[in-house]
Amino acid sequence: MSEHTTELRQAALEERSRALFDQSVEQIDMAARSRLTQARYAALAAVDGSRRHAWFLRAALWRPAAGVTAAAVLGVALWFGTPLGHHGVLSADTQTNLEDLDIVASSDESSGDALEMLQDDIDFYAWADKAASAEPAA
Amino acid sequence: MPRFDTLDSAWMVWDGPAPAPGGAVLEQTRELEKFLAEIERRAFRMAQVALRDPDDALDVVQDAMLKLARNYATKPCAEWRPLFYRILENGIRDLQRRRSVRKRFMTWLPGPKEDPDNEAQDPLENVADTGPAAPERLMQDQAMQRLEISLRELPARQREAFMLRNFEGLDVAETATAMGCSQGSVKTHYSRAVHTLREQLGEVW
Repeated sequence: MSEHTTELRQAALEERSRALFDQSVEQIDMAARSRLTQARYAALAAVDGSRRHAWFLRAALWRPAAGVTAAAVLGVALWFGTPLGHHGVLSADTQTNLEDLDIVASSDESSGDALEMLQDDIDFYAWADKAASAEPAA
Repeated sequence: MPRFDTLDSAWMVWDGPAPAPGGAVLEQTRELEKFLAEIERRAFRMAQVALRDPDDALDVVQDAMLKLARNYATKPCAEWRPLFYRILENGIRDLQRRRSVRKRFMTWLPGPKEDPDNEAQDPLENVADTGPAAPERLMQDQAMQRLEISLRELPARQREAFMLRNFEGLDVAETATAMGCSQGSVKTHYSRAVHTLREQLGEVW
């Protein structure tokens, strides 16, 4: 048998079997068709379900990271946003000024109101301040 | 720390492909529906030829559809066909394996044994058809029955190669992907299948 004949027979077999198969597909009964349609819809519903699931999973994974980041940002804002600007370390000048303010603002039973005293002898304190600042130069 | 050139590449590492925008998702779902609608009946018939039982065939096809939709819906459409048939063929093979184990187990049990000549035969097939069957249709049905019997007698890999290449029109590369083997193996299986079928069906078929 020649090679050409073999090829022809093979092609005929392929063509006939394909045609028969296609025809048998067309003859599938309605019950089976209906079940296939239901299966298709179930598969498509599964796609939506898996997408939602993937989104939820991603969100759940991101949530702790987002919480940690927010806490860090809040901490930094509190640290640098305070009125003093620095924490724990006060300069000597700042300390002295605060003590002076405390003395002036405080009220004492025996000496009377310190602010009142300052107002009464304002000329004396002005002269004392000038004298004190002139003394080191001399 | 890996560097990502695009956001997509970062998503690939994080959790598979990047999520498509809303419109693209809808389009993809439509494409998948179209693909499944095109393929479902042919897949059912292929499974039925291999398994003989329509209920088993429907179960296997449904399972393959679900697996494709769940795991590979985000893949490019061009890859769906070989992937689907790979899942389907794996399902058919699993079911056949379970059947053979069950059959082996059943032979040890007392009771009526299955008649090998009448296995899984539909009793309605023996009832005379009173409808006006056209002679041509009858001949075609008989030819298809002979083809199915011959296909079932083929080794599983040869049957798969023949059905995927000839019935589904998959090329050699796609068939190799679907069967999980090399392209050379596909050619060999297909050639042997055609040779055997030609011998079994004869010249007049």
